[in-house]
Amino acid sequence: MSFFSFKKKSNTEHPALDAEVAAQEAFERDKPLTNHTFEAGEHPIVRIEHLNKSFGSTHVLNDVNLTVWPGEVVVVLGPSGSGKSTMLRCINLLETPSAGHILIEDQEITGTNEAEVNALRRDVGMVFQQFNLFGHLTVKENVMIGQIKVLGKSKEEAEAEALKQLEAVGLADRADFKPGALSGGQQQRVAIARAVAMHPNVLLFDEPTSALDPELVRGVLDVMRNLAKNSGMTMIVVTHEMGFAKDVADRVVFMEGGVVVEQGTPDVIFNNPQNPRTAEFIGAIA
Amino acid sequence: MISLLHKTMSGQQLSLCMSSASFKAESAPQSTAYNSAKSKLSHNRAYSSLLVVLLATLLLSGLFFMSLSVFSVQSAFALTTNKATAKSNQTEGNGVIGGKETRLTWEGAVEDEQVSQLTLQLPEGSDLQSATTKVTVLSGLTREKIEATASVEGTQVVISFATPVDAQKLIRVEISGMKFPADGGSYTVEGTYTTEQGTQKLASSPQINIISNTPVQALVNWLDAQPWVEAWNSNHFLGMFLKPQLIVSSVVMLFPGWLVCLAIVICAYPVAIVLGMGFALLKISKNPLLRALAVVYINLLRGTPFFLQIYILFFGLPMLNINLDTNLLGFIVVAINSSAYLSEIFRAGIQSIPPGQYEAASSLGMNRFQTMTFIIIPQTIRRVIPPLTSDFITSYKDTSLLSSVGVMELMMFAKNLTTSTGNMTPYMTAALFYLAITLPLIKVVGSIEKRMEQSETGKTVSASVSKTQAISKEEN
Repeated sequence: MSFFSFKKKSNTEHPALDAEVAAQEAFERDKPLTNHTFEAGEHPIVRIEHLNKSFGSTHVLNDVNLTVWPGEVVVVLGPSGSGKSTMLRCINLLETPSAGHILIEDQEITGTNEAEVNALRRDVGMVFQQFNLFGHLTVKENVMIGQIKVLGKSKEEAEAEALKQLEAVGLADRADFKPGALSGGQQQRVAIARAVAMHPNVLLFDEPTSALDPELVRGVLDVMRNLAKNSGMTMIVVTHEMGFAKDVADRVVFMEGGVVVEQGTPDVIFNNPQNPRTAEFIGAIA
Repeated sequence: MISLLHKTMSGQQLSLCMSSASFKAESAPQSTAYNSAKSKLSHNRAYSSLLVVLLATLLLSGLFFMSLSVFSVQSAFALTTNKATAKSNQTEGNGVIGGKETRLTWEGAVEDEQVSQLTLQLPEGSDLQSATTKVTVLSGLTREKIEATASVEGTQVVISFATPVDAQKLIRVEISGMKFPADGGSYTVEGTYTTEQGTQKLASSPQINIISNTPVQALVNWLDAQPWVEAWNSNHFLGMFLKPQLIVSSVVMLFPGWLVCLAIVICAYPVAIVLGMGFALLKISKNPLLRALAVVYINLLRGTPFFLQIYILFFGLPMLNINLDTNLLGFIVVAINSSAYLSEIFRAGIQSIPPGQYEAASSLGMNRFQTMTFIIIPQTIRRVIPPLTSDFITSYKDTSLLSSVGVMELMMFAKNLTTSTGNMTPYMTAALFYLAITLPLIKVVGSIEKRMEQSETGKTVSASVSKTQAISKEEN
């Protein structure tokens, strides 16, 4: 993906969020925290500014700030109920933020109307914990339907793309099966193929292996690793898989209690965490 | 005026009778009247010699008969036809079936004169081969001793009396073992009678309605003759509830009612599906007013008996001067009643789709319409087909309640037939008609549920096909 073609228009409604300034500030802030290789004039693909979210009186997210760069793989760690999934779901507006801003490719997405939300969502793919494949469609049709109905591709184009993506996740031979006939791990790989076939700019993973039997986890992680290393896909992954985080992540974000406690390179987070809570959490898991 | 004319004419006829009687004494007496032509001939000869008397009376008698045919038939005959009936030969009901042995009873009263011969002309196509004729002459209530001979010529029964039957007597002819034409229809018994004055035409008898002898009727006749059927029916329970003859004939007689049931429920159901889907969408809408409307409609209909709804519609609408055909009313009440149940089925179906399906569709960028059309509704339909079919079965059975308000459906036919035969078998036949639809549908529901279970847990259609092919290969 070529990020040089991004429209660098300034945000007149929020002068403080002016793209150039913000990109520069984010670069300064994130440079020591990530293994991502920055390019000259690069703008973040996702910018989360002062994000707050509450369900009734429960404050789930409290002033979360995060920037994600094109091609970067960000792994979000944290105990249950720390707000990781909610933050992820705010990025494609499955949850509506209570306050704050989210920008994708320098475009404000909070407070947009339904049509704009739909346009946004086609550029932000998502893989769910429960796969959420469409049970009435075959594996191949699951991968095709978004391309046909949303991207307006022809059936033949969509089918070719679907078979290509299913090949990539090693399930081309299951193309005509119904999702019910597949194992959980296979279903999750189909879900990844479905998301990738839309060629999103960002791919969100919401605990993709949490619902899987241990022996099926590896296949899914292999697919994700391959995606991160070979296709240069921007990924935000909420997971408990420490090995994956160590191996694949450019940056690890540790969240707890609705705030980002610490973020940094995997090396720092796993071997030399600055925050005692991070150390405690890593120690408990490892 | 008319009665006066009658009296005058009777006087004329009386004189005619006397003259013929006096002449008859001269000619050779006819003790046997097998040969009616010979008898006629002798009469003619007698008249020819009394030509003047004849000519004098001819005009008057001609006028007399003409007036009779116009004004009053009965009093003109020396022998009037009182009745002609055929004994029912139907296993159930009291009809007379053609092509099956029955007993024809003909009765006539001798008004005046003496009847020496009687010929009954039975309908063309009647079978008299194994018929036996019994003639009784009654005087008041007492039976008279008479000598008579009867012979059969084609479809004619000729009865000759050894001594002519006097006036004021009743002649009863019973022809047993005769068969009416198998085609059925309305028939009359015609005929002639002979007095000393000659041969006259009998007045037509009242019509006898003959039921055509269909293959079904033939089967019933056959069953009637079977010893095992007799043995079966001699068991009180079997004969009362499962009488073979009545099963056969009631299948035919209940069939129109079954069609009415089917027509009502098949026409009502698509309407109920559309109404039900509409109210289901209203019930999950965000507008509280629409939601309330749907809740009231659904709960009122689900909270009251179908029977009551039938009464309200069938007796209420006429009070508003809305008079509709009962079948149409039946269709309306079934459609409305089913729609309430279907809307709950649809609502539950839509709401049973997990939120993850909406989220997955949204995350692909589908709008709400696309999500509903391509993702949610197709999965809803799969889920509601079993409860939908179950509800169809219920609605189909519930059409039986319409019999209470006079819709001529299956139950009504069965009730009528049971009333007329005094046998419960028609209800059993009605049960068969209901089961003929419900049992296959119950099986369909089961197999759909099974297939859905499979598609959610394992096999696909193509996989299961290849599996069955593999099995059949093994068998080969």
